[in-house]
Amino acid sequence: MRQEIKLTPDDVPLLEAYSTGKMDAITLRTRLDGATFGEVLMLLREAGLPLPKAPVEGREVDIARARQWLFPEHGA
Amino acid sequence: MAHSIALFVVDTGPLITLAAAQSLDYLLFVRARLIIPDAVLHEATRDAARLGAQDIIDWVKANRATIEIAPTRAYEIYDLARMNKPHLREPNLGERAAVEVIEEPDRLIGNERGILLCEESALLRRVVVQDKAKIIELSTLDFLRVLELQQYIQSAEQVFELAAQAGRSVSRVEKLSIQDHPTRDAIIDLVRKRE
Repeated sequence: MRQEIKLTPDDVPLLEAYSTGKMDAITLRTRLDGATFGEVLMLLREAGLPLPKAPVEGREVDIARARQWLFPEHGA
Repeated sequence: MAHSIALFVVDTGPLITLAAAQSLDYLLFVRARLIIPDAVLHEATRDAARLGAQDIIDWVKANRATIEIAPTRAYEIYDLARMNKPHLREPNLGERAAVEVIEEPDRLIGNERGILLCEESALLRRVVVQDKAKIIELSTLDFLRVLELQQYIQSAEQVFELAAQAGRSVSRVEKLSIQDHPTRDAIIDLVRKRE
């Protein structure tokens, strides 16, 4: 278990894989010796990497469904 | 036909991301039952130690009437074990509690629909969802995109950028020490079952 949050060179490729959607958060956190999500946010920032953003392509159906469910009076 | 909606925050990511971006209230922008498994809340408030655990605690307390903290067996067992081992850590506690809540047969009431807010797609792959037509899985960004489409917020991407930048802000870096009794007690009070 990590004692403190400190970016190491070995962390960067893992964080890059996560940031580009090639690695999921659970795998990343396991590979980072049980880092918490909060620590992942901080390491990403230190490495100058953004949070992974799933592209809208492929997500449109679920987003539209969720919007219809959550805001039925306004429609999707 | 409009259905009632239950919004489940099933891992710590959405809570921490939104807390870091000072945007927890966005979860209340929708007309839905908001449900957080007890262990997820526990982990989020521990996990957010450097990003403001107090923000999450204060937000839940302020909105206690509209936020359901779902009790789980996983957390109950962990809480009992901590009586003998106060520093006990269970790395997968939040995930186990989330699976328990998602797989609970009567979790959705009547014709209710469920939206699972979750960053960790690997978690959802472990779950057996009984009625997939009644469940949608959304990431935090997906949820924010819905709010943006409805013009409830200006930009989903901007919220994400704020969260990503949060670690830079020294003033918002707080340390949650396990010796911090008031904060620990606040967490215990929030997740404890009420008789």
